[in-house]
Amino acid sequence: MSTDRAFEGLKVLEFGGGAAGPIAVRHLADHGATVIRVESRERPDFLRLLAQSAHNRDLDNAPFFTMLNCNKLSVALNLNDPRGLALARRLVDWCDVLAENFAPRAMRKWGLDWESLSATRPDLVMVSTCLMGQTGPRKDYPGFGGQGSAISGFNFLTGWPDREAIGQHGTITDSLAPRFAAAAVVAALLRRKRTGCGAHIDVAQTETAAYALSGWLLEWTAGGEVVGRDGNRSRFAVPHGAFPCRGEDRWCTIACHDDADWQRLVEAMGSPSWATEPGFATLAGRKADEDAIEAGLAAWTRGLDAEDVFRRLQASGIDAGLVETCADLHEDAQLRHRGHFRWLRHAVLGEHPVEKLGYELSDTPASIDRPGPRLGEHGDFVYREILGLADDEIASLAREGVLR
Amino acid sequence: MEGLLEGFRVLDICDERGLLCGRMLADLGADVIRIEPPGGSDLRRRGAHLGAGEDPELSVDWLACAAGTRGITLDVTHPRGRGILDRLCEGADALVESCDPDFLQAACLDYARLAARHPRLVVCSISPFGRSGPYAGLRGSDLTVTAMGGNMALTGDADRPPLRCTMPSSHFHGGAEAATGLLVALHAREATGRGQHVDVSLQAAMVCTIMTGASQWGLDRRNRSRSGALYVVGTTRQREVWPCRDGFVSYALRGGPARLPGLVAIARWMAEEGIDAPAWQRDWKTYNHNDLSQAEVDALSEPLQRFFCGKTMRDLFDGAVVRNIMLAPVNDSREIAESEQLAARGFFADVHDAGRGIDLRMPARFARIPGVDTDVRGPAPRIGEHNREVYAGIGIDGSELAALAAEGVA
Repeated sequence: MSTDRAFEGLKVLEFGGGAAGPIAVRHLADHGATVIRVESRERPDFLRLLAQSAHNRDLDNAPFFTMLNCNKLSVALNLNDPRGLALARRLVDWCDVLAENFAPRAMRKWGLDWESLSATRPDLVMVSTCLMGQTGPRKDYPGFGGQGSAISGFNFLTGWPDREAIGQHGTITDSLAPRFAAAAVVAALLRRKRTGCGAHIDVAQTETAAYALSGWLLEWTAGGEVVGRDGNRSRFAVPHGAFPCRGEDRWCTIACHDDADWQRLVEAMGSPSWATEPGFATLAGRKADEDAIEAGLAAWTRGLDAEDVFRRLQASGIDAGLVETCADLHEDAQLRHRGHFRWLRHAVLGEHPVEKLGYELSDTPASIDRPGPRLGEHGDFVYREILGLADDEIASLAREGVLR
Repeated sequence: MEGLLEGFRVLDICDERGLLCGRMLADLGADVIRIEPPGGSDLRRRGAHLGAGEDPELSVDWLACAAGTRGITLDVTHPRGRGILDRLCEGADALVESCDPDFLQAACLDYARLAARHPRLVVCSISPFGRSGPYAGLRGSDLTVTAMGGNMALTGDADRPPLRCTMPSSHFHGGAEAATGLLVALHAREATGRGQHVDVSLQAAMVCTIMTGASQWGLDRRNRSRSGALYVVGTTRQREVWPCRDGFVSYALRGGPARLPGLVAIARWMAEEGIDAPAWQRDWKTYNHNDLSQAEVDALSEPLQRFFCGKTMRDLFDGAVVRNIMLAPVNDSREIAESEQLAARGFFADVHDAGRGIDLRMPARFARIPGVDTDVRGPAPRIGEHNREVYAGIGIDGSELAALAAEGVA
């Protein structure tokens, strides 16, 4: 590649675990930054423990952790030992960006909080991404993305109106928050280039999700309406749903956003008599009889392959899709075109895919060069090459349990 | 206080798919200029509106996500309008668009043509599948890209169709990816002196929501399926969203050692309340959510469900905070608006909208940065609200503007 990546030479130090913080840092790592994760064998990242069972006690046999943390280096360091903490402090002096997602009290306990660090490092860009933020009565409330999705509204908004809230699969605050945190970090780096000033970015995972739902919140605060979950239906488009296709649990999606869409759909189906009902020509008419429309569409799609419905309706200019399983994603022609999955080799997991970011840069493209690190894998390199410790110093620290 | 992006200017030709990107950049301090066709963007006529009518000035998406930006009207498909856009590009750092492919061609807004004239401009495209590739020309609403990004197959009840979220989560993920990608490209420009194309795919942005699920398929070739409020853990299904007396709470048996103190605490809480729960009187040192049998999961779940059903969301959350239990209420919009934590952080701003004669309470920011202004800068622009000042900035005075308006260009 002739052009350097956007963050070639940028140095990033990462504390904490889980998904939200580490994914945010991927936006720097995939664009060339050197990222060192400070980990601990005493208190491993919980993602290293998710797959632990009676048959797996290996902290490096951790698919979730490994797939999220590609392109990063790992050192093991006991921060509760003063010598470990002193090394961490030296790494802070090395870095441009410090990312952490502990509950707020943790960094304070170690003297690695913004107030302590900014006195000597006013140019540091620090980002903290805990669940509830660095201030407020609930700041120390610990939680995972599951709670974040609940607190911020995403669970309430997903499900059938006649049934319980179920939430969108995954942990939506863990996929949303890092994209907001990354945007703020890069904006802070742009300012630092001009002014030399650092910043402490306080991202509350739950707030990024509530911010994304600003329109929904405004419907309550200004409109007095609590808009609830409504299956796949939309207030503004009929039909708007997923319909069964040939085969076991195969589905397509079809949406008509205006009356012209509906006319095209009727023609694409061969103008069956149920669909040419004049009342269906308008959104209001279709909304009034949505059950019948959905039943009619399902009867039509049931005899067809989902892929076929998707291609045929798109060819007619209709917003239609295919409900893709994880296997389907790997066969998807468009994701293949983008090289969305990159296969890497990991010492314990073997060959496995990781995902690229959702955007591509034309001139300074991101790249994924190394798999997620084994715990402490890069200790020798970091302590020797970056901190300049002598071999016997490293050996004695290791012997005394500081580098665990 | 200043923002992080003071001095950066971004032109924005996005519909609802990309609206959030501009809001984020404006909150960070960029001067974001929304360009709408004369008469206003179609997106103002779609979706929800405040009040009974469908007043394009009261579109909810617009009020919420165009807040803090400036707005002009300009027909970029008209040759003179396109020329004016070029002049605006001269003074801009970035342009973000989520236009349909036909429109892009008609307005000569494709990256190649923009880059030829404006080599320093960062151009960010937000589209359902990306601007190149076999699906580049296809239509794709939130429903479709959620399906084709893999999330939908995993969301929903087993006996009904796969589900999306009722609010368009792909637009949120894509909008935030776009803001990040655009800023990464601006950072790269500091070294290269050149702009570049940032190509956001909403489909690709949704794959990440299943949290390595798609990548893990590459290891075990196992397709997961949707299972309602239950989560597949090992060979078991474990509940994550639980009914309680007045709603739902989120709570999980899985999650590894970080959850353990909370499991012990909830066992103690149930005992204090006299809940008969023998499965919870166990040796927690040996507990591992991956080693549970379905019978053990059920034995833990049944008394827990009984306990939750006797309590309100508020009781449970207050107790969880005191006892350090990872349990959270499934909030609706009213409950979020009433949150004490958000109030203490000043998360909601009352934005005074003099032009419309209303005050709007909305999220103020997505990040707090002491000493830096990250708050929403003001209300969303009315149609053509900033025409005069923005056109004057490129040397088009009032009478020329009036002529352009009369021709339907501005």
